[in-house]
Amino acid sequence: MSEKKIHEDQKYIDGLLKNNSFIIQAIYDKFVPKVINYIKQNSGDSDKAQDVIQDTLLTIYNQASENKLQLTCPFDAYFFLLCKRKWLNELKKSSNKEVTISEDLLSKGDDAQELAFETSVFGEKQALFTEMFQKLGTACKDLLTATFKIKSMEEVAKKLGVTYAYARKKKSLCIGKLTELVRESPKFNQLNN
Amino acid sequence: MEENHILFESYLSQELSQDDIITFESRLKNESDFNQAFNTYKELSSFLEHKFKNEADSTAFQNNLKTISNTYFEKHETAKKGVRFKPWQYAMVASVALLIGIFTFNNFSSPTFSDYNNYETISLTVRGAQDDLLKDAENAFNNKDFVKAKAVFEKLLVQDDSNKELHLYRGIALLELDEFDEADSLFSKLSKGSSVYKNKAIWYLALSKLKQKDNGACIKILKTIPEDADAYNEAQKLIHKLE
Repeated sequence: MSEKKIHEDQKYIDGLLKNNSFIIQAIYDKFVPKVINYIKQNSGDSDKAQDVIQDTLLTIYNQASENKLQLTCPFDAYFFLLCKRKWLNELKKSSNKEVTISEDLLSKGDDAQELAFETSVFGEKQALFTEMFQKLGTACKDLLTATFKIKSMEEVAKKLGVTYAYARKKKSLCIGKLTELVRESPKFNQLNN
Repeated sequence: MEENHILFESYLSQELSQDDIITFESRLKNESDFNQAFNTYKELSSFLEHKFKNEADSTAFQNNLKTISNTYFEKHETAKKGVRFKPWQYAMVASVALLIGIFTFNNFSSPTFSDYNNYETISLTVRGAQDDLLKDAENAFNNKDFVKAKAVFEKLLVQDDSNKELHLYRGIALLELDEFDEADSLFSKLSKGSSVYKNKAIWYLALSKLKQKDNGACIKILKTIPEDADAYNEAQKLIHKLE
């Protein structure tokens, strides 16, 4: 990837990441009305709009804090596309149709489209990972929670009353199990294509 | 499998010897299943690390977001409820409907492929070493030199067969050159995939049938375009004209 110029609207991303209330408020004042209108005009209501917007902002926050999100387009376009895509997916889910994602073709290598696409795939993966994590056995869940919260494997081992070597091995086997669960899910293959 | 997972962990925590690292990295290069498993493993490690490390920050953010969101929606959205259309708005809607009526009434001549082959200019210029070829493809396509465009797309696809966008444009070029069999099989392959070009491929498959004057097949295909596709409205109009 070549270095693209970061858009000045990166301030909204940084603001979200810092949990800056002024910035979050500004996003609602400036960008949210358009999304509400769109959802209302497409078989939704303001409650649905509120949920879609909140979820979208949380996904952006998560991506920014895990992967470093660099905005190369106006926030407005990026945010609107994300909300729109999320809403269309919800509509499809509730009407029980196959979930496919349609996109404006000939979108001229559009930065906003690309970024929105990446973020929404990121969001869907997070949801999938969370779902699969819940499917792990209690022993794995406890060990992984302890491992990533405590950081030091020695302490984890002590806390769980096992040897260090066992804790180490168990960690990789548990993430391994999770890896298999994820890779076996049809949703994951869909997302990775 | 389990051995691999232990190996992944050792690699990620930089505990392998120099020799083992070399072996590991060459397996990453040569074994695609190993590579995919490793990448998923790595992605999950990063997901878990973030999930638990940032739990407190993330909860604080969510709570703050919820408060701002609730305040916003209470203030703006309840105030707007109960707004009714004014009579002049009804009049406006009626006159627009009338205009649309007149327009469609005048539009009865039967549609042909040439009504639909005005493509938007494409832009493929991305980073990397292929830039010259991409530029060639872009220019040829935009100048409607489909013979050349087709040739260049084919060259590009040799380098990167997974690029669905290039496949789609190659299909359009084939369609323009009346190479229907190949175009149709390409579009139907794309339309069964899950790429973002899926719906576009259905649309062009229908246009190909239109060009081949197989209106029945065209209508049938158009009807499979889902409502949220960009081409949906146009597809509906075309169905209407053909029927």
